[in-house]
This record gives sequence, C-alpha cells and structure tokens, in this order.
Amino acid sequence: MFWSVFLPVLLIFKTCLHMNSRYFGKIARSGLMVVLLTCVLSSLQARVWTSKDGKKLDAAFVTLDGDKVELRLNNGKTVKVPLDRLVKADAEAARRFNGVGDNSATKASARQIDGLLAKNLKKAGIKGFNEALPDDLFVRRVYLDIIGRIPTREEFMKFAENSRPDKREGLIDELLTHPGYSSHMFNYFADMFRLRGKIGEGGGKRAEPYINWWQDQLENNTPYNEIVNNMITATGNLGHNPASGFLLRDAGMEFDAFANFSQVFLGIDISCAQCHDHPFADWTQMDFYRMAAFFGNTQRIAGRGMMGGMMAKNGGNRTKELVAFAKKNGVPTDNPQRAYNFYRYLDFLGWDVEDRENLETQLPHDFRGSGGKPGAVVKPRTLLGGAAKKGGKTRREALADWMTSPDNPRFAMVIANRMWDRAFGKPLIGPVTDFEKDSVCGQPQVLAFVTSEMKRVNYDLREFMRILYNTRAYQGLASAEEPASTKAYLFAGPVLRRMKPEQAWDSLMLLASGPKIDEVKGRDGSFLMSVLNVDFENESIEDIFAKYQAWDTNFRRLGDVVVSEPGELQGSTPSVPKMGRIEMIRASEMAQPAPAASLLDTFGQSDRLVTDEHSVDGSVPQVLALMNGGVTERLTGGSSKVVQDLEVLDAPDDKVRGIFFTMLSRYPSADEMKLGMKMMEDFGDDGVSDLAWALMNSPEFLFVQ
Amino acid sequence: MNDIFNLAGKNQLGRRTFIERAAQLSLGVGVSGMLPTVVNAKAEKAGTGKAKSLIYIYLSGGMTHLDTFDPKDNSTVMGPSEAISTNVDGMRLGNHFTGLAKHADKLAVINSMTSTNGAHEVAQYMNRTGYSKRATIVHPTLGPFAEELLGKRGKILPDSVVVGQSTSNAGYLDPSRSPLPIADPTGGVPNSIIQTDEDRFERRMEMAQGLGKKFIDKYKYASAQSYVEYYKQANKLLKSDELDAFDISQEANAEKYGSGRLGQGCLLAKRLVENGVRVVEVVAGGWDMHIGIENAMQSRMPELDKALTALIEELDAKGLLESTLIAVNTDFGRTPTINMNTGRDHYPVAYSTLLAGGGTVGGQTYGSTDKMGKKVKSNPVEPADFIATIGYAMGIDLDEIIYSPTRRPFTFANKGKPVMKLVG
Repeated sequence: MFWSVFLPVLLIFKTCLHMNSRYFGKIARSGLMVVLLTCVLSSLQARVWTSKDGKKLDAAFVTLDGDKVELRLNNGKTVKVPLDRLVKADAEAARRFNGVGDNSATKASARQIDGLLAKNLKKAGIKGFNEALPDDLFVRRVYLDIIGRIPTREEFMKFAENSRPDKREGLIDELLTHPGYSSHMFNYFADMFRLRGKIGEGGGKRAEPYINWWQDQLENNTPYNEIVNNMITATGNLGHNPASGFLLRDAGMEFDAFANFSQVFLGIDISCAQCHDHPFADWTQMDFYRMAAFFGNTQRIAGRGMMGGMMAKNGGNRTKELVAFAKKNGVPTDNPQRAYNFYRYLDFLGWDVEDRENLETQLPHDFRGSGGKPGAVVKPRTLLGGAAKKGGKTRREALADWMTSPDNPRFAMVIANRMWDRAFGKPLIGPVTDFEKDSVCGQPQVLAFVTSEMKRVNYDLREFMRILYNTRAYQGLASAEEPASTKAYLFAGPVLRRMKPEQAWDSLMLLASGPKIDEVKGRDGSFLMSVLNVDFENESIEDIFAKYQAWDTNFRRLGDVVVSEPGELQGSTPSVPKMGRIEMIRASEMAQPAPAASLLDTFGQSDRLVTDEHSVDGSVPQVLALMNGGVTERLTGGSSKVVQDLEVLDAPDDKVRGIFFTMLSRYPSADEMKLGMKMMEDFGDDGVSDLAWALMNSPEFLFVQ
Repeated sequence: MNDIFNLAGKNQLGRRTFIERAAQLSLGVGVSGMLPTVVNAKAEKAGTGKAKSLIYIYLSGGMTHLDTFDPKDNSTVMGPSEAISTNVDGMRLGNHFTGLAKHADKLAVINSMTSTNGAHEVAQYMNRTGYSKRATIVHPTLGPFAEELLGKRGKILPDSVVVGQSTSNAGYLDPSRSPLPIADPTGGVPNSIIQTDEDRFERRMEMAQGLGKKFIDKYKYASAQSYVEYYKQANKLLKSDELDAFDISQEANAEKYGSGRLGQGCLLAKRLVENGVRVVEVVAGGWDMHIGIENAMQSRMPELDKALTALIEELDAKGLLESTLIAVNTDFGRTPTINMNTGRDHYPVAYSTLLAGGGTVGGQTYGSTDKMGKKVKSNPVEPADFIATIGYAMGIDLDEIIYSPTRRPFTFANKGKPVMKLVG
C-alpha cells in the first residue's frame, strides 16, 4: 500500500531536519547564505501531510485530480492519495493549493500596475520606487500581511536559506494557501461587516453560524461578488441560511443598516441624507429612501415572540401545535419564566429574514426633502442611475444583480481600493467608505486598472492580492516619510503601518505557543445551525420538538460555547489552550469581538459597532501590557518561553541571532550583536530574556516596515 | 482642539489622517503631560460650573424606582417594601436607605424620568451618551466629551476613568480621550507592577530605547514617534506617586463603603476625584430583578445605601462635595406590578435618578409619578435632559458643536434641556 513509502521518506526527512539544525548554526555563525542541496524543497508548497491514522509524509503538492491529491516526494516520485485518507486540515490544504495555479497572468498584471505607477512617479519628479526590501524585511512583511502574524524563527531561516530565484513569489503563493490567510482575511471582513458573536436585542442571540459562514467563504475563496450576493438575498433564519446574519445583524435599525450598506459596497457615506439632503454631496434625502426601498419589503425578525414570519404561515397553527405538544411533554408553557428556554428557542427559530409583498418603505414623519411627502410610499431606485431590472425577481435579488453589474461603476472599485489599502496601508482614493470624483487620487489610472482587474479575476480576492503582492511597488521599503494628508500619495512603496490589533495579538500568540495556533479552531456554530434548521411547514411536530430538546439539553454548550447562565455565553471549547483565563488562540477564533479590557481591546480591536473602527494608535495601557503583562511574563519572565526555544542553539552568537530572528525576523546589526553578546556574557540566560523583552518593547516590534 | 475638526473635511482628511493629526497634538492617556495642558479658551463658562468633578454611578439592569426613591403608600404596588422618612420633611425613601435618609438634605431626587428604551443595551447606550444607539456612529461617553469641551486637565493621570466590567470609548473623538478602564477597583492600574527587580527593569528599558532608536530615526511617522512618548510616560507613571491615586488599600475608611464592587468602586472614585480626575464612571450590575425582588433588594439596596452614604459623608468632610457631582443613573425603572416570579420587569415609562453635590440643590424631589408609580404626573425628564443637567453643573456649553470626522455635528447631551431647579 501507498503508506509503505512512509518509512524511508520519514527517515530522509528526519536526517534533513537534523542536518538543518546543525547547519543553521553554521550559516548563522558565518552569516553566509549556503544552498541546501539535499533538502531543497522541490516546490514551495512542500509540507508534512498527515493521514487520518496519524502517519506523516513530507511531500510537495502537485495537483488535485478529482478526489485524489498528487504529491511529489523528496526523491522525485509522485504518488496519489485519496483526499479522505488525509486529516481534514490537509484535505482542505490540498483544495486550497489547487486554487493557486500558474502565475504568468498574475505577474503580467503586476508589471502593468508597476508601469502605471512608475509613469506618474516620474512625472512628479520622483526617481522610482522605494529601495527593494531585503529578504529579511520581505519575509516579515509577507507573513504579517498575508497570514496575519510574524514568521517563526524556523520559517524565517527556511526562507533565508532558500536560494531559488523565484523564492519570493513562491513564498507569496505558499502563504496565500496557508490557513492563516483566511484567518487574517476574516479579521478584515469582521471589521468591515461588524461581525459580533452576540447580536439581536441586548445581545441575546448568537451569530456563530453567520461567523462560521464568513470563515468558510474565505477558506474556500468564494468570489467576493458571490459572498455579497448571498448576503443581500439570504432568507430564512441562521439555521436555514447563515448568510441571513448580514441582514439580521441590524434588525431594528433598517435605515442605519442601509447607510452602512452604501458605505461598504458603494463607498458612499449617505448617512446625512437619512435626515436631510446631504450638505456637501449631491445626495438628496429622497435618494436615500429610494435606494433603501430595495429592502422595503424585507422583514427581519419576523418571528419575534411566537407570531409572524415563517411561523405564522398557516395562521400560526404550527406554533400552537408545537406549544401544545411541548405542554404535553412536560414543558410548563403557561409560565414564560419557567419555560424560558422553550420560548427562547421559539424566538430564535422565528428570527429570520423574509420578503413580504405587502410591506413598503415609507418616508419618515419628519421628511423634509423634495419629491415626496412624509408617510408617502417610496419605490426603489438605485443611487447611480441604471435601474435595477426586476424581471420576476425579488427586490433584493434585483439589487444584488445591479450591485455587481457593469452598470454599477463603484462595486468593483470599492473592493479593489480596499484590498489595495490592505496591501499598501493607504487606499488609492479615500476614505474607502466615502470618496467622490473629486477626491484626492494620485494614481487614477491605477485605480481604473485595478478595478478592471478585480472584474477580470472574477472577484477572486486571493488572486487579486497575489497580483498586488507581486508588484515591485509592494516589495519596496515602506516610505520613510509619513505622506502628507493634503497631498496625493503616489505609492513609491507601502507606508509604515502599526500592526493591526489582531496581527499584534496573533504574533504574541505565535511567540507563546508556536505555529500550532494556526490550526486551532474556535467557536463552532454547527450545533446551533442544526437545531434552528426547522422546516416549519413540513416537518413533524415530534421532530421539531426533538430539536428543541437537543437545544435544551445542550443549552450549556451552544455552538461549542459554554453557557454559564441563561442568556450569557462565556468561555469556549474546553480543548482551547488557555493561560489563566486568556484563550491562547488566534483572534479570528476568539469571541467576536474579544472582551472589553482584553489585550486585543487594548491594542485597538474594533468593537464592531461601526465599519472599520479599529485603532492602530498606541496608549499608555497598551505599552504597560507589553512591559508587565501576562503574555510578556510568559515569554521573558522566570521560565522564559523565548529562552527555552533557543536551547537548540549552543553558541552565544547563535542565540543572539536567534532572538533577533524570533522577535524581529531580521539579522542584528554589528552594534546590536555586540550588545547582545555582552548581555549574555554578563547575565547568561537572563541576558537573553532581557534582550527578548527589549526587542518586544522597542517600537519596531509593533510595526510593519 | 477645534482647529483639527475644522480641518477634518471629508475631502481633505480621512479618519486615519485625522487621528494622526490629533495624535501629534494629544498623545493619549498621560502623554499630554509632555505638552502644554489645553485649557478652554472661553473666558465665560457655560452653566454653573460648580461641579469640577463627576462621579457617575451607573446601575446596570434597571433600578426599581418604587423600592428606592419613589415609594408609594399602596401596599400592592410596594410589595415587600415600605417608605421611611428622612431628615427632610415630606421627603421619603425606600426602607433600605437608612443611611441616605440622614442626608436627604443633600439629595436631589428625580422621580419623573421617562424614556422609550425598554431593552438594556439601547437604554444603557442612551443613558451613558445622551444619544440613541446607531449603526453608523459611536458616540462618546460623558468623560471624553467633557474633556473635549473643557480641555485636558490631568498631567499624568487621565481625565476620565471607568470602574467596573464595562466597555467605554471615546467614540468619534480622538482615541486618546478614551477613559482608562479599571475592571477591578481593588486591582489598581492594570499591568502596573514591574515583573523584575528594579535594576533589571532599568536595564531592559534602556536596552529597548537603544535598540529602537534606529527604527525611530528612520521613520518619521507620528504613529511610531508617539510610542516613544508612551513608553516614557508609562515608565514615569510606574515610578510616580500618581499610581497611588488608584491604590484604595491606603484608604482609612474602606469598610464604610462596603466590600462589594460598587462600594469599592465608589471608594476608588472618591480617591481619584481627590487626585484631580474629572470624570469617574462606576458601573455596577445586579439590578435586573425579574425574579424574587425581595431577596435581590436585600443585597443590592444596602450596598448602594452604604456606598452612597460613605461617599457623601467623606466628600463632605473633606470639603469636596460642593465641587463633586454625584449622579446615579440606570437603564430604566421596574414595573409597578409584581410578576408571578415575585420580581419586577423592565419599565422605561417612569423611573428615578439621583443627583447630589456639585452645586445641586439638595433636599428636593423633582417631578412625580401617579399613585401607582405608573406614569409621570409632573415635570418629565428624559435621559438627554438628565445628562444636560450634569453638563450644565460642570460648566459645559451645551450648544457648542463638535464635528465627527465625517463632519456630522454633535453637542453634549444632544440638545437635552438642563433642569434648572436641580442645579440652582
């Protein structure tokens, strides 16, 4: 059988590892780059694959052939492994790898962006792009930008010792298919779409199915236009279609939700026009309500209490039947307090999105704009001309079609501009939620080009990011001067950025627990989904009641989240590693958002109330946490984690280099080396942990250069 | 600071730039000690301005009005509670308030609060900001807004602190105005204990500064430069006596306040106010009494009575009551009808709040409800009016317009009307 090839391969692999670790020392000592002949990776997507019965295989991904993955072993032979023999994470990895193919079109596109940028730079008298990134800064940058955390010392070394000329594009591809890619991308969209675990009035509902849905879209690299289409048109409750979470998120605040909708999808802040004609832009109050009217016959939380929504079909008879059945089975339905869980379940079941033809958007009672009177019914019309065609579709379907149609000049531009901002630390035109024709834009041709590229790649965000990461502009040093706010920035390179709150947190978690943090999954809403997925028209009352019973029994473990008391969910899966009460997992897997006064909050994580509202500012409490906090103590205190990790290195100068690789992913300068050596001489291991502490508390640690 | 906002035109400056500009001028908690303290340029202060500090006690869950400040004669409505008399003729309180009853002459009780927010989240948002909760903007709480309008006061200490398990931020204002969160009043400033001996700490700090220098010199960004200041300030704070302001173990009369979070929070608030902090919010829960209100009251009411009594007595003894406004606010009231679980449910139609000190006129009950405590009978006060009254006492110009980075205009208390009878 195939697995019999494991033994020899494993032996080779082990030898390589052993050699590597010794070899690393030599390389580090001499400071020279030496090619590793025996263990050079045949492809950059080489990795260790694990079978369900725990066997391991070091091999490179070749292709996906139906339900089998083709792998190339180190000896050059290829083998085919059925996907279902691999552990879930590896099967998923194979599917992801398959998504990244040939990069010639990518590189052509990147060159075109560079050409357009360079032309305008030249015109402005700037001689060219910023100096190219040295390897060490490159590796740190792409790890942080693509998978949201700093590289480990080993990952850093692996790249430093790779001598292939195409190693940069190879690393970009490897990282784009790494699980950290979707985790980091999730943080971006969680901010943009204000994802919260607790939603609904008073936070009484759980949104894990919706949050998981988002995570799945990013793991599967679903095209962005499809994601948006699904969110706009979703009907049902979170069990029927978790994408309904998008509209349920703002139930009860429909017009605010529309103002947000316009900001995130069209880059137009029209919120002023909710109450009066926009004072600075052309939008009128009437425009606002006409566009909002696309959601005019959409009803959210139809099922509040026991009435309305899908549960009211058949005149609410099914609800009555269920209540009667529950009563017969011992639920004290005539006492809402004692039957709290039962009614909470009913309430959650009916918490859904539906279209109802008899609903219309009406102008508010204090409408002061022209074109209508308070209370008048408004018919839907798009903001940017080009009517949405109905043709038998619901209003929301028509809107979703229009959003992504060529008639809409903004949709692709907004997401392209946002993704550009992610890579370069500054949008081509800003702010991303509100820009106009006359907004400052130094590179209008680039804006037009990346907009057309977004369409060309069919809203494949991974491919789009791959283009940007392959540009020479991106691969230059961050500009040394902060761009002036009044002048257009021409993108000779990215700008210096402080790590996003989640990047800072995930990097600290990496230092504390190693790369296994990339594999740990957090909250799972699948149980919640299964009990909410009720066919209220056709399912038998017995079956529905059984789902309630499952809910009731598992009430304390809803969505794998421990429930401490009714209405309050705390903690997470028991398997999640913890330090005290802190979960040592990636930000994307934690409660959304992390609790107030947690380290993530201190670093400026958005509270997800309004779009893109994270902060990258410092504060005294933040630096106090880095100086004296629990994570720092674990890394550099008594039994310092960082010192322990350096035990594999013997020579003092290797240790000093090792600390720099671990903390800053770069080589120490001669002065820094001297300082480090002195610390080791004077204080031994204490000196090493002091050095680690100092690097963590030098502002450089928190920045993406 | 107004010039920043005027510059923040949507086509000239995005939010990011706006923050960067602001960071250059005000570097956040503590750092303004490095800069000249901004003082309100206005010669004439609005309102009375007698309240130099505010202790804002927020009882989350919804404090029952009938059992506390608006007791009735009707025993069906009162359930297990009854009214007691106070040191002011005709002014009555719930029977658990035996301490406060001796200080009714210093209390301005409002029994005609009314709102439309019957759910916790929206009610808390309104009562802590003066604005309705929206999905497009976050409004600042009272501390950051007061700092924005009156100028930064503290050199090392922050101008506003939030005590208790609660979120609080500066909303659309500069993040440097965010209140310092203290989750546990007995724990001091989080992470303010150095983990090594002093020599080693010095060594580490010195090394960090040395190692960071090249980076700082290379990149001329406000965001990077500001970290140098934050580290300097944090280092200074760790060694300063100012940290003592957070150390309630040094208080002689700690037990007078009660040992719970509320009592200890009030004690910390008092200590911070003595040290010059302008606004301290103390957030304490346990007031959502749907089930067994009698038992719930037996723990919460004496706790509140003890904390408020101690606070009033200590501030008074130190001569600080005149300059310190104590405000008690809550989500909403609770139903006059006792439910089948012997509790009371949410009731925003009529409820009570309290003011004391800071130049408020004590010994009065403002507004009233009907005999059942069901409806406001006279002088209704809405949440924004209550907050406007606080602003007026603090000398805040309630008409001054502050623009968000998206150029939306806002005022303190959202055009609420101060109740003049309460603030004299």
